[in-house]
Amino acid sequence: MTTRADIENLIARVAQGDRAAFKALYGATSAKLFGVTLRVLNDRAEAEEVLQEIYVKVWHNADRYTVNGLSPMTWLITIARNSAVDRLRKLRRAETPAELEERIADDGAGPEALAVAASERGRLVACFEELAAKHAEAVRRAYLEGETYADLAARFDVPLNTMRTWLRRSLLSLRECLTR
Amino acid sequence: MSDQDQPDRDDRVLAGEYTLGLLSAEDAAAFEARMVREPELRTLYAQWAEDFAGLTDDITPQAPPARVWQQIEAGLFGTRERGSWLRRLTLWGGGIAAAAVLVLAVFLPDLVERGPVPPVDPPYVAQIAAEDGSLVVQAVYDDATGTLFVDREAGGAAPGRALELWLIAGEDAPVSLGVMPQYAQAVLRVADDLRGRVAGAVLAISDEPEGGSPTGAPTGDVLAVGPVQES
Repeated sequence: MTTRADIENLIARVAQGDRAAFKALYGATSAKLFGVTLRVLNDRAEAEEVLQEIYVKVWHNADRYTVNGLSPMTWLITIARNSAVDRLRKLRRAETPAELEERIADDGAGPEALAVAASERGRLVACFEELAAKHAEAVRRAYLEGETYADLAARFDVPLNTMRTWLRRSLLSLRECLTR
Repeated sequence: MSDQDQPDRDDRVLAGEYTLGLLSAEDAAAFEARMVREPELRTLYAQWAEDFAGLTDDITPQAPPARVWQQIEAGLFGTRERGSWLRRLTLWGGGIAAAAVLVLAVFLPDLVERGPVPPVDPPYVAQIAAEDGSLVVQAVYDDATGTLFVDREAGGAAPGRALELWLIAGEDAPVSLGVMPQYAQAVLRVADDLRGRVAGAVLAISDEPEGGSPTGAPTGDVLAVGPVQES
């Protein structure tokens, strides 16, 4: 098991250009990050390619890690999630309106989202549960599916401004709950 | 007015929207600029990043195939031969049958110099155009010979950048048809195994580094798209 301190240490060495540390960091973290990219992209070929991009970014940006205030795994997961979402949005940009309809109708809602919630750490679960089910799902979809305000408005069949209001209120409730 | 009434004016909310990637490019840039100056904003962002990362807690780790590390090493340190075009295609092609990925789309310089002559009565045409008309490419496709004639009527690559043409057939990942040459008119040869897939597909042009996408998939903005239609 690699501890938080181990990963921090590896990132610090990567920042110095230590290739052995980079390989060790990849060994310790790539399965988690590949899981995340697969979850977001749901496509192995795309996920593999994005995983490459992620570690290229890690190599080039490791020296900036210490100033951002994130825990090492959060830093890596955030790079992975954002890179995967960027790719997903690029792929979606080529979608026709009919394909968008189909995607939104197909990957139906609840069961999976609920499964995600069930095993999350307690505080986060409890705070998501305080939100209306739809609102919690919208926040989850924004993070894990990279859905935009426009995507979410189409999915929940509400006007764009309503969606913004829902989501902003949900974020406020979540933040208040999480810092309680 | 309380936060409940105007939640969108709250930095805690703004930081959450930034973390989720919900802000417009302009608002995100403005938020990043503020983060540089305002430590409190960095703290708000860090809190959201930590909390949302918790949403990945139950995602099962999956060991990536060995080729991913090999490609990372090759790309960063050149410890293996430079990733060839073909190998990159096979890498990202993954699920697609290998044969289908071996696209041989070649610009024929001799034809380009003479000026390509599109068929008089082409079976398929496509207008690959940006919404604002900043890039317009007319394409004519002859499925009998697998020849794609392209004529760039408006726009071009940005300085130091290249335009790359992609075939998007159905649900499949985009397949590169090659980098558009500097000439306005050119001919591309579409590989035999792709010939039958051009009809009904979508052609797209993306902004890429000189020499084309380093990854085998579009990396820059998609500038123009157009469906291939029977003429």
